[in-house]
Amino acid sequence: MRYPFPTGKNDFIQGNEAIARAAILAGCRFYAGYPITPASEIFEAMALYMPLVDGVSIQMEDEIGSIAAIIGASWAGAKAMTATSGPGFSLMQENLGYAVMTETPIVVVNMMRGGPSTGQPTLPAQGDIMQSIWGTHGDHMLIVLSPSTVQEAFDFTIRAFNLAEKYRTPVVLLGDAEIAHMRERVYIPHPDDVEVINRKLPESEEEHKLPFGDPHGDGIPPMPIFGRGYRTYVTGLTHDEIGHPKTVEAEIHERLIKRIYGKILGHREDIISYEEFELEDADVAIVSTGIVSRSAIRAVKMLREKGVKAGLLKLHTVWPFDFDMIEELAERVRKIYVPEMNLGQLYHLVKEGADGKAEVELIPKIGGEVHTPMEIAEKVVG
Amino acid sequence: MQIRFAGIGGQGVVLAGVILGEAAAIEGLNVVQTQDYSSASRGGHSIADVIISKEPIYDVIVTEADVLVALAQLGYDTVKNSLKEDGLLIIETDLVKPERPYIGAPFTRLAEETTGLALTVNMVALGYLVAKTGLVRRESVEEAIKRRVPKGTEEVNLKAFRAGYEEGSK
Amino acid sequence: MYFKSAYDIREKYLRKEMLPTIFCPGCGIGSALQYTLRAIDDLGMNPDEIVWVSGIGCSSRVPGYVNFDGLHTTHGRALAFATGIKLANPDLKIIAFMGDGDTSAIGGNHFIHAIRRNLDVTVILINNFTYGMTGGQVAPTTLRGLKGTTAPYGQFENPFDIAGLAVAAGANYVARWSVFNYIQGINSIKKALQKEGFTLVEFLSPCPVSFGRRNRMKTAPELLRWYQRITVPLNKAKKMPPEELEGKVVIGEFVDRDRPGLIKAYREYIKRAKKAMGWEE
Repeated sequence: MRYPFPTGKNDFIQGNEAIARAAILAGCRFYAGYPITPASEIFEAMALYMPLVDGVSIQMEDEIGSIAAIIGASWAGAKAMTATSGPGFSLMQENLGYAVMTETPIVVVNMMRGGPSTGQPTLPAQGDIMQSIWGTHGDHMLIVLSPSTVQEAFDFTIRAFNLAEKYRTPVVLLGDAEIAHMRERVYIPHPDDVEVINRKLPESEEEHKLPFGDPHGDGIPPMPIFGRGYRTYVTGLTHDEIGHPKTVEAEIHERLIKRIYGKILGHREDIISYEEFELEDADVAIVSTGIVSRSAIRAVKMLREKGVKAGLLKLHTVWPFDFDMIEELAERVRKIYVPEMNLGQLYHLVKEGADGKAEVELIPKIGGEVHTPMEIAEKVVG
Repeated sequence: MQIRFAGIGGQGVVLAGVILGEAAAIEGLNVVQTQDYSSASRGGHSIADVIISKEPIYDVIVTEADVLVALAQLGYDTVKNSLKEDGLLIIETDLVKPERPYIGAPFTRLAEETTGLALTVNMVALGYLVAKTGLVRRESVEEAIKRRVPKGTEEVNLKAFRAGYEEGSK
Repeated sequence: MYFKSAYDIREKYLRKEMLPTIFCPGCGIGSALQYTLRAIDDLGMNPDEIVWVSGIGCSSRVPGYVNFDGLHTTHGRALAFATGIKLANPDLKIIAFMGDGDTSAIGGNHFIHAIRRNLDVTVILINNFTYGMTGGQVAPTTLRGLKGTTAPYGQFENPFDIAGLAVAAGANYVARWSVFNYIQGINSIKKALQKEGFTLVEFLSPCPVSFGRRNRMKTAPELLRWYQRITVPLNKAKKMPPEELEGKVVIGEFVDRDRPGLIKAYREYIKRAKKAMGWEE
């Protein structure tokens, strides 16, 4: 297999470019998109690379069509991705819910910019955290990852595909305009060194019969992709284990939705990833995700130099959220600060997790600039 | 080390930043490169930031620049306050009139004299910067130029870079 | 023309456990479905290589009743999903069962762009002039003066001619019949299924319960008689002045051509890309 970019070596590239290359190394062979700042370079890279790896890159008529096309491609057996920003992500919500309901592995990249509406197209923000979790209607569960460096954008993209395939679920990669256009040194591994997980196809009679059931007790049914003789009927309506619509039976709806919740929440330990900095003896903690984590790490260093016992919990997985971990943290520290580029979203999750065991304070910033380390440190010092 | 390039759209400010960043990456240093420009493709301010360090880099944008390379007054005025008090100011002496100590040369004229193309001003300034600061090795920058400039323009860009390097070595 | 018994067709292709259907007495969707299955049967196509796709509405429930792979998607989006399926696995044949509102209102943009791309798909369009599932609201196809719950005094807007739209957007094959024209219908579907690119067979299809009832045509036979009154065969229509065609619906085969389909175009694009990179001669 020949790759259209160098592998097994360092490169100096933008976050958007890193996401495209990672997708291809993760096995993505179908990309559908619609141009939007600041995510267009992902599409442009895919447009350049996909035909060379016998994959598909297609410009759809809008973002609704883009996510629809990747869901279709996934059912036809391809690993598929789309990328967008706020306005396009809003349009995708309907079919994001369809992907949840039909348990379709897809990766949706949202490079956040200032909103609401057209907002600040070129500037970074974190205003879509809640939307990425709860944007589509109805009770639903999916996975949201958020990188803070170009290397993480690369690594998390591969992880997004692997989680999508493993848990038969949509995964949202939540970047921002800064990561999108920032260039950093990134290690692009050799394809043989990339861990790639592929979806399970039904093998036994029972697996074949229950494409929306729970043949293994882990909540994750193998996926009977099209054209292999499974004759699967896939619907966004509430359906039973076979896939037949059952729209008024309360117990069937409850069983289906609870299994979709359970297959993610039951594997929280595998899905949730984070990093800790100087937390062991910390007296105050910062909890952050995405681009702000960079300034938060610097802030911790500055605070430590001044003798303040500060530490950082840097969340890589935004959803599912480990409320218990935050509660344990709250028991250990005096106060938790949540810097984020919005007027309070992650803050609410942290506050719920802390459950009153420690004070939680939001450090909000909007307008298009990442917090400076000093802005965070000053808030902590008071 | 925080280096900031400031100019106007069309001067190739971002490319200069990208090439400096690439050179640092070639040397195995950690490097972050970001940019900020107005939505006008030509004429608005254009800023490129490069942060180079042996340690992991957490900063996203330059907050206290060690070096500011200013190629146009508009760019300079936009970001002049971000230069450290003891920071190094390098300017295009024909186009920027600063109110603090500086070094520099008429980079655009040098570009025109060397390559006949004013738009190679970015490479001249980059050469001058590298000669004055020794941030990265000259060979690393030349390799980065070969990788990053449009095919067929390698020689002209290298020529401009070398002219700037010579000027900076005087 | 020899016709297999409808029981044999049902036996061979339907998911028995899903029956009965949700379709009302007098509904035309079953007829259009039967024509489609007969066409597949006559052509000897392998059901494992066919995917049925649909959006939302009565007609969109069809993929649930047939024993094939099926994707019952969101309202209006069937062809965007189909684009992904077909490009990801070009060996699959796609049949999209769509309604008139699904196709031309909420899905209008996906529809015209799927045709512009010449996506390799066969659309079976059920045009019943109304939103049947939600209870008889007017649709973009509702003729002027006809009643729906959202235009109770009679439609005041102009209707879309979906088949005409498909011809203008560049489809390879477009035909329109009423479900009454069963032989023409089956033949058109057979033609459509054998062509590359975008193909569309539209059926005027009775909806006595949600549409007929509000327009003094309470039964399917009344609606079929109405179709006979308002439809004009294409060759006859060609000779008629426009004012006489006002309020009429032309039926027939509107276009039959062989422009390259999306799959062929994309395969050539891959070659072009590899050549441009010097990967292939």
